[in-house]
Amino acid sequence: MHDFVLGQYFPGSSVIHRLDPRAKLILLIAFVAVTFVAHTAGAFILLAAVAALLMLLSGIPLKIYLRGMKPILYIVIFTTIINILLTSGDDLLFEFGFIHIYKEGIINAVLVILRLSLLVLGSGILLTYTTSPISLTDGLETLLSPLSKIHMPVHEFSMMMTIALRFIPTLVEETDKIMNAQKARGADFSSGGLISRAKALLPVVIPLFVSAFKRAEELATAMECRCYRGGEGRGRLHVLRYSGMDVVFFTGGALLIGAVIVINIFLPVYPF
Amino acid sequence: MAKIRLENVTYTYSVGTPFEKRAVDGVSLEFEEGLLTGIMGHTGSGKSTLINMLNGLIKPDSGRVLLGGEDIWADKKKMRSVRFRVGLVMQYPEYQLFDETVRADIAFGPRNMGLDGDEIARRVSEAAKFAGVEEEWLDKSPFDLSGGQKRRVAVAGVMAMSPEVLVLDEPAAGLDPAGRESILSGIREYCRATGAAVIIVSHSMEDMAVFCDRVAVLADGKLCMYGTREEVFARRSELYMLGLGVPMITDIAHELLKLGVPIGEEIFTVGGVSDSLRRIISERRGNKGKGAD
Repeated sequence: MHDFVLGQYFPGSSVIHRLDPRAKLILLIAFVAVTFVAHTAGAFILLAAVAALLMLLSGIPLKIYLRGMKPILYIVIFTTIINILLTSGDDLLFEFGFIHIYKEGIINAVLVILRLSLLVLGSGILLTYTTSPISLTDGLETLLSPLSKIHMPVHEFSMMMTIALRFIPTLVEETDKIMNAQKARGADFSSGGLISRAKALLPVVIPLFVSAFKRAEELATAMECRCYRGGEGRGRLHVLRYSGMDVVFFTGGALLIGAVIVINIFLPVYPF
Repeated sequence: MAKIRLENVTYTYSVGTPFEKRAVDGVSLEFEEGLLTGIMGHTGSGKSTLINMLNGLIKPDSGRVLLGGEDIWADKKKMRSVRFRVGLVMQYPEYQLFDETVRADIAFGPRNMGLDGDEIARRVSEAAKFAGVEEEWLDKSPFDLSGGQKRRVAVAGVMAMSPEVLVLDEPAAGLDPAGRESILSGIREYCRATGAAVIIVSHSMEDMAVFCDRVAVLADGKLCMYGTREEVFARRSELYMLGLGVPMITDIAHELLKLGVPIGEEIFTVGGVSDSLRRIISERRGNKGKGAD
């Protein structure tokens, strides 16, 4: 559980870490779009090279990225099988009983594998591993702030997100602590049937809820004491400013989109 | 005889990440029956990790934990019985209360041990006495008690298992002076009455000086001092270097000794020092009276 929640963000000071969170969000959207535009071998090679370069720049060990890819393995296998078996087309490659495998199915499967891997890598490099959750919500709030003109409570949503993110580690730690305390009193969480296991969790869930509500109340009081009244007229401590490096990356992103489109049109070599 | 023994235990958190930290580094310690041992150390010195090893919540990367001469990790199936024999009261244990009544909450441990109703009732009332839980709280909801009262209930909940080793992490933190005094006296009473080895983690030198028979000092995950309070508090300058210090009263007593005031041996508790000061004062007054005659 610790690894899942806390092991995501890798503190560091690389170029990627220091990019403006808004820039990273926009670039990620662009990167996602471009992986769906790409459908030729050249385009994918270019995207993979870009991803490799970004990974290098982020200064995060390769094994962390590989670990991040593991969870999508099953999705990849599943969609590959579905794609190969269920896509029909003109070019029949293999036939056995009710199984028909077409060339188009294989193309689709390869495309899905490439796109999914690039998506996971891209979002890892640009967001989860290199951006702290707080600066991420900051960036999101600033990007979405035009919506508050049409009375969307953008600030309130992002405050809720910030608080939720801020308290995930606290709650995980607390759950751990309470579980340990009850284990020390002989509670047994790992044996028995479903119902007895659920019952065994009561001594953990009750104190956890009690303290979560208490915490919420205390936090609300503390915020009120400091005159928090929502987003209206509220300034910020860290004002986000684009730097020269952000401009460089935006330009790079634009060039990448252009390059992928050009390669798609002029180098129609397919990846298989 | 040593009830529980740590042999050269080591533990490192988050191996292979930027957060890697060696919390406990080659510590060997014994805790004897009927003795109260205090563990002191700065925040992050490895105290909590160390005591979580005592009942198998944390498995040492290397080294052994011997309970009554047996390695607690030798047979994982016996871990539950180890937890009944080594009672652990965590920091701020009042947050672990959950049951409908105080009585039921204290009985949670003994119930898990599979004891029969009479024995459970006997243990609950015995533990309640040691921990200072009053009779009329027993049928209330634990959530209706004050913080200090909840703390006592939580301590009673662990004592009710009659552990032969009782470990408490900051049992008196955040309590008022009277509350500290009474909860710590209750713990000492438990120690003396049952012959359990009791281990207390605390930041308060004063509490250590008053209640502990032995003191262990941890710094950076290593054991750097162990002995009676006289032996440990005699190493004043080292303790100050570790950012710990000695009881304020001991400091003052040392100053007085330097000035030639014959304050005696008992310089670790306010009671001891004030007794000898009173003695000295009355002696001097007596002399003065004679001189005036």
